[in-house]
Amino acid sequence: MRRSAFQKMKQYPVPLSKSDLMSVESPARYVGGEFNAVIKEDMMEEIEKTGRTDYVRFAFCFPDIYEIGMSNLALQILYHVLNESDFVACERAFSPWLDMDKILREKNIPLYSQETKTPLCDFDILGFTLGYEMCYTNVLQMMDLGKIPLLAKDRGEDDPVICCGGPCAYNIEPMADFFDIAMMGEGEEMILELSEKVREYKLSKKTDHPMTRQELLLACDAIEGIYVPSLYEVSYSKEKGADVKPLHEGVKKEIKKRIIKDLDTCTYPTSPVVSNLRVVHDRSYLEVFRGCIRGCRFCQAGFIYRPVREKSVEVLCEQGRQLEQNTGYDEMGLLSLATSDYTKFPELAENLLTTFEGHHTSLSLPSLRLDSFSLDLMEKVQSTRKSGLTFAPEAGTQRLRDVINKNIREEDIFSALRLAFMGGWSTVKLYFMLGLPTETDEDVLGIADLAKRIEKLYYDVGRETGQKMRRPDITVSTSLFIPKPFTPFQWEPQNTKEELIRKQHLLKDNMRSRNIRYAWHDFDSSVWEVVLARGDRRLGPVLLEGYQSGLFFDAWDDHFNFGKWVEILNMHGLAIEDFSREFSEEETLPWDHVSVGVNKKFLLSERHNAHEEKTTPSCREHCSGCGAATWGVGECFAKRNAGKEGDA
Amino acid sequence: MLQSEREKMMTMQAHQTAYVQRASFSRDGATTFLGHLDLMTCFERAARRAGLPILYSQGYNPRPMMVFALPLGVGIETRCDYLDVSLNCPYDADQFVKELNDYLPVGLRILKSKAIPEPKDSIMSIVTTASYRFEAKGIREAMEKAMKEETLIVTKIAKGKEKQTDIRPLLISLSQGSDGDPDSVEFYAFAGSERNVRPDLILSSLSMYCGMDPDIAENTRVIRTGLFSGEYPRIIPISDVEVRPLQVQN
Repeated sequence: MRRSAFQKMKQYPVPLSKSDLMSVESPARYVGGEFNAVIKEDMMEEIEKTGRTDYVRFAFCFPDIYEIGMSNLALQILYHVLNESDFVACERAFSPWLDMDKILREKNIPLYSQETKTPLCDFDILGFTLGYEMCYTNVLQMMDLGKIPLLAKDRGEDDPVICCGGPCAYNIEPMADFFDIAMMGEGEEMILELSEKVREYKLSKKTDHPMTRQELLLACDAIEGIYVPSLYEVSYSKEKGADVKPLHEGVKKEIKKRIIKDLDTCTYPTSPVVSNLRVVHDRSYLEVFRGCIRGCRFCQAGFIYRPVREKSVEVLCEQGRQLEQNTGYDEMGLLSLATSDYTKFPELAENLLTTFEGHHTSLSLPSLRLDSFSLDLMEKVQSTRKSGLTFAPEAGTQRLRDVINKNIREEDIFSALRLAFMGGWSTVKLYFMLGLPTETDEDVLGIADLAKRIEKLYYDVGRETGQKMRRPDITVSTSLFIPKPFTPFQWEPQNTKEELIRKQHLLKDNMRSRNIRYAWHDFDSSVWEVVLARGDRRLGPVLLEGYQSGLFFDAWDDHFNFGKWVEILNMHGLAIEDFSREFSEEETLPWDHVSVGVNKKFLLSERHNAHEEKTTPSCREHCSGCGAATWGVGECFAKRNAGKEGDA
Repeated sequence: MLQSEREKMMTMQAHQTAYVQRASFSRDGATTFLGHLDLMTCFERAARRAGLPILYSQGYNPRPMMVFALPLGVGIETRCDYLDVSLNCPYDADQFVKELNDYLPVGLRILKSKAIPEPKDSIMSIVTTASYRFEAKGIREAMEKAMKEETLIVTKIAKGKEKQTDIRPLLISLSQGSDGDPDSVEFYAFAGSERNVRPDLILSSLSMYCGMDPDIAENTRVIRTGLFSGEYPRIIPISDVEVRPLQVQN
């Protein structure tokens, strides 16, 4: 496809002086002009000339810096979906870093979009993607800099509709005061339905019966998957937990997430916007399937993205070919929760490698599972250099791995590593979690033991094969367990900070070796993450006050001020413990009015299985009846039906 | 490394014949704010999108063989910079220009290209001089004043250390016959690997010694207008330099 049209793409001037741009880190973040970016010039001209209102201007907002936002697949997918429609023009906006934030405030310049440099307040819809809780305050920063009232109740008829989506939207309660709309689940269809409603709203303004903003929100509530927080009354009590009631007749009692039934026919961006400056994940992305067959009990993604739906290998090969051609990236990532669980994974990988032959394009496989690890493939994929092997056993003992349902066996780890060491690998990264439910010191020490046995295996392989071995480089990384909504562990308490620090020292003191490095995750941010993840509407005023006193970029360790957050939390009569405690199985959870398909009964039975150290088979082996099959699609559903036919 | 891989690498060391396009390009708009490494990546990706038969370097981390005559700093536009692109087969120059232009981001543009023999001297090594155009209120007067100074000591930060350096000897001459507009000026300065002066240092010397308002100096539009080889005044544009072919012994 010839792209000469882009040469004539109009460049809109940046509303900043050259010296301002030159004074910040990476000015290229703030100027746009990327290849494959979409500017609907005709539409812009018409709006300007005739004031036409039947177009919808959508700003897709990413509440973190450009380099992180441009690595986000949701942004690329929805940007593409929106711009494909003939009545929406979608542009992008990112959180400006502190240096630029300061300039915009001092000079009173509204935060603007990348494409046409339009102030955010002039858009019809702002859509935020919420991938992690720690970005919440950056949502406020962007709205504030974009000259939009922060509280939904303060916004008027002419203000943009502020909506969000992504994994954090499922429990949007802490941010409920700020968003008009939260979209639950996969957005490709929903986002267009929402845009259509906003278009009707805008058109009605020119008629004798203009819709009010409240009417618009009620109309949006009728769209499946859309949650309008302001249409509910919420109260909390110690005994019963949350009580969420619709304020009006007809407002839905339960919000059920949306899914895309057929990924093969669903639009996928094979011409994504290619950043001019190098970003965090500087590669193209091929999404292979959605959902995960595994059901690790700590993993929110494993439950909220159910059911498992694969793309066909034919569609993937074609999309992969186009992606490589249209982006020019020299690396393509196969993206899924556990890529090697793709049914035709070898066929897909072989086919793509053949397509890339002679192009100097490599495949990146960020989520290969150890038990289906294929050394042969790794050899092919990394033909030029051997980077590290990464495994995530998550827990140090088989007992605890059974508790969390991480079905990796030690034999598999060791047989895979033996092959890898024989093939010349010497760098191994191991990921674990500390503070998992039922964890004992024995489990913690199990991590050290595993690392040391891997070190020993390395030298054993050297002795057996007579190869001269360089020093192995083994990194043990621990993050902290965070109980997340919509997982079997949603009720579990988080260890106290003191307990976590003790465990960390225990591990460190028992894992001393010059070949083993230990890296750990910051405690404070994990504690705060629990507050936000399992929080409720009482956090709204806390977040607002925190932002107003200068707290944002919480996802950046250097800028995260835990002490100040706790202070503000306490001032509002709340404590960390209110959110890190064990939730009772009887109380209504703040997010219970949202359905991700997997039902609460199933999550509860999984919790009980965990405490009994019972594992649950993958969706591919056996349907455990989680509830996600109600959509009538996906691998588990197909399996179930096949089973039924067999029985009959 | 596995034995088989090592062998493969050894056999690949043989010289690959390169069909080099020496191209000139311009940049303005958004791409002006890219650093040099990002700029190079932009060209690489455009060439890959265009499906040009680029040669890759050998070794552990093969890179497309594209050599830029002189790094282009952040915030500097250009009307005529150069790069050499090595291809694995002969290519029509006009077609090369057209195809690459179809895939470059807005703001970057290939102006001209010509096929040259694989050069003995790297394109970087032949650059001696650059011409610049500065646009800002009162810039001509300030620049004329600078040329009358004997020294222009500025502070340069290199490898994290501050260093005092005199840039006056690096300024060659104002261009003759420009239109006399008080708000723009064109001049020649040393450029290249031996002697080089960054435009932002010239601008800071103008505000330090020549009475220019620092704010205006910082907001000056900087455009590189040409790159040359040879000794001033007998300089020739890089595109006109006769290429000494590389003698390959196989």
